[in-house]
Amino acid sequence: MDVYARRRIANGVVMTLSVAATAFGLLWLVLVLWTLLENGVAAISPALFSQMTPPPGSAGGLLNAIFGSVAMTLIATLIGTPTGILAGTFLAEYSRGSRFGEVVRFINDILLSAPSIIVGLFVYELLVVPMGHFSAWAGAVALAIIVIPVVVRTTEDMLNLVPNALREAAAALGSPKWKVIVMVSYRAAIQGMVTGVMLAVARIAGETAPLLFTALNNQFWSTDLNAPMANLPVVIFQFAMSPYADWQVLAWGGALLITLTVLFLNIGARMLASWSTFKQ
Amino acid sequence: MSSTQAAARLAMPLVPSDPDVRDPTEPMPGQKALIRNVDFFYDSFQALKNINLPLHDKRVTAFIGPSGCGKSTLLRILNRIYELYPGQRATGEVLIDGENILAPGLDLNLLRAKIGMVFQKPTPFPMSIYDNIAFGIRLYERLPHSELDDRVESALRRAALWDEVKDKLRQSGLSLSGGQQQRLCIARAVAVQPEILLLDEPASALDPLSTQRIEELIAELKADYCIAIVTHNMQQAARSSDYTAFMYIGELIEFDETERIFTHPKQKHTEDYITGRFG
Amino acid sequence: MLVDDGRPRGLPFSRRNPLEGQTVAADIALVGRSAGRRGRAGSIGDTVFRALTFFFALLVLLILGGVIVALVAGAIPALRTFGFSFVLTEVWNPVTEKFGALAPIYGTLVTSAIAMVVGIPVAFGVAVFITEICPLWLKRPLATMIELLAAIPSIIYGIWGLFVFAPFVQQYIQPAIIDSLGQIPGFGALFAGPPLGIGVLTAGFILAIMVLPFISSIMRDVFETVPAILKESAYGLGATRSEVVRQIVLPYTRIGVVGGIMLGLGRALGETMAVTFVIGNAHRISASILQPGTTISASLANEFTEAFGDLYRSSLIALGFILFIITFIVLAIAKLMLLRLQKRAGG
Repeated sequence: MDVYARRRIANGVVMTLSVAATAFGLLWLVLVLWTLLENGVAAISPALFSQMTPPPGSAGGLLNAIFGSVAMTLIATLIGTPTGILAGTFLAEYSRGSRFGEVVRFINDILLSAPSIIVGLFVYELLVVPMGHFSAWAGAVALAIIVIPVVVRTTEDMLNLVPNALREAAAALGSPKWKVIVMVSYRAAIQGMVTGVMLAVARIAGETAPLLFTALNNQFWSTDLNAPMANLPVVIFQFAMSPYADWQVLAWGGALLITLTVLFLNIGARMLASWSTFKQ
Repeated sequence: MSSTQAAARLAMPLVPSDPDVRDPTEPMPGQKALIRNVDFFYDSFQALKNINLPLHDKRVTAFIGPSGCGKSTLLRILNRIYELYPGQRATGEVLIDGENILAPGLDLNLLRAKIGMVFQKPTPFPMSIYDNIAFGIRLYERLPHSELDDRVESALRRAALWDEVKDKLRQSGLSLSGGQQQRLCIARAVAVQPEILLLDEPASALDPLSTQRIEELIAELKADYCIAIVTHNMQQAARSSDYTAFMYIGELIEFDETERIFTHPKQKHTEDYITGRFG
Repeated sequence: MLVDDGRPRGLPFSRRNPLEGQTVAADIALVGRSAGRRGRAGSIGDTVFRALTFFFALLVLLILGGVIVALVAGAIPALRTFGFSFVLTEVWNPVTEKFGALAPIYGTLVTSAIAMVVGIPVAFGVAVFITEICPLWLKRPLATMIELLAAIPSIIYGIWGLFVFAPFVQQYIQPAIIDSLGQIPGFGALFAGPPLGIGVLTAGFILAIMVLPFISSIMRDVFETVPAILKESAYGLGATRSEVVRQIVLPYTRIGVVGGIMLGLGRALGETMAVTFVIGNAHRISASILQPGTTISASLANEFTEAFGDLYRSSLIALGFILFIITFIVLAIAKLMLLRLQKRAGG
């Protein structure tokens, strides 16, 4: 076999394998989503959104869990977003080349990829132990700690994309630096920053591990932030691992809800990002 | 220092007749600004060497020279916009109405409120046309709504943009064409009623028609402002300016009335550049 | 003077209203005063804002510091009781209060290794396809779909794994493996045992699916940094696509690819929920990867809330601390490598 033919075959093999790998990857996506739909749809009913998590053997819904997830996600976003934006602003606008800035950036990236269960342990030691009990506050704080690095990163990246000429133009009018940042740089980067927040929310919407030791779970309806609060991920965990069929059905329903939320947020964030680049 | 440059140094005080260029080291009436013994450094690299020249009020002074000669750098000293970047510094004096603006302790924001700057690429803020113009005004003045409207309108009129945007003041500044955006930036700069206008190659990113309109605008604006314009387009300098400064690798080679520089340049270097032998 | 010492000042240059051509004294004083005030307000605003951003940047550092302190403080009782042998003991007996981290550590490392072995080639194939083969109109939607794999929360993979994948593996895959690879003398011990569905291999495989989009997207970004001119020169010499990838793109992006792999590894090491459902939660080390085991995060997830006794809880926290150290090291190396590639690409 001559050299060229061998090269052609090698090329064909590599290319085929690449296509196969891509198909392989997509296959699992389709499989997971398909089973999710198949099993989750069975749980979708008005009861899902109006009744509380039931004891095994009875019918019920996920209302308290949905509420808990929404509440804690909201609080975590409210805590984490301003923190992340301001820290990211520091990195982009004030830390030009400084050692401190480099260290913060490095640490932030570590936190970004750190196991979320470690965050749960940390907040357990920080809040649950001193308070003496699990609480929704602790759960929200744990989720906030996961939100912060994501928002820091996207804020810094988006602010770095704002052209310096824009800053100079504002400064040339006599604007103090903080106004340049707040009124010009933020406005220029707003779409990217919102995208970052959406992705962060999508991330925490499905996080289970940080809630395991902080908010725990609650069988009943509760709006008390100082007490354990039901949430979708932990409920799914508990119900899915159980031997009860009706609990398992509810677990699938919850899983479908979370997945739809996460996919919706992700696709929304991407559309927002590409729309803004299109506009420029 | 070459003999040409030595001659340039000596030649300047000997130039007779025009009172405005008689003695470049002392402020003269009609002079808005005086640049005195200015050096500029990017970290350890010296970008400007011993610049001395005046800027005349209600006149246009053009800065020409090949790329990298330091003309933009010099312009940016006048409003100390270089201070945004660490590692860049200027020494010497820049007297504006007799006050040295390179003195330490100066409030830079107040300084820049008095000096307008327009950049090479149009830089409309991501806000409405109205807010773009009002931005600078709102920084330092608290005006009633109607007065603010008047100021915005007059600034847009001065920039010859009013008729084109008067019905869409609430639209984003980014929705305008390139030439319109640049006129927006000019309107923004004049809205705060500055004393000096710095124009850094304002038409280089624009098509010929927009360029022409900008040049017409400059001719009108010079009645009220001291204008310094950097341009790589020599014909533009010859057409639009009253005084021209030719710079080369960080040094001021020649400064004179535009007509004289382009017809009878005193330095060979200037002549070579003007006739296109280099650059 | 323009020095802003706080006193209301007239404007620095003689002020003329261009529209009226006369000096308006009252205007000067008024505007000057407000300009002075605004000027001062500007510098106060600057100081406050800068301090604010600095504080929150510091907070990021403090959070990590807090994590380390909390873990160490919680782990000390266990580490003091067991000493270094903690890392080498397999025993995990809450009743006799004898704890050892060996089984969870082993499980963590093995599942991650399986995830890498399966995930890296697939991720590479996907990255090559998207950057080199894929038609332009398909690139964005395909890339998005692969990234959606990463967006799906791990608990979804967990229950999918438990209810769908594990039974499938138990019925078809594992028997096939046992009958083929399990029969090889010596080596076959790796694949021995009854087909349970759940176990180390299943968990590793699900981890692979979870990390592959991650690694793939980093590889893709890194592949895109190769200058088009470089590739065109190779194509111009008649190289085939696979040759360009293997001999131009890969060597150029070597550091970034390794960095991306390490990031994926960091992810796999810390993954909790997907693994917890299908690993079987057995605190023991088996030779066979078809058997159940446990990982650090799975142990924590399963046992922490029911842990009784200080030593039990402290041992779990010690496990968490070990996991943190492992992931920290992996992530730090990954970050340094990616930083080096960024510097080289001029970014």
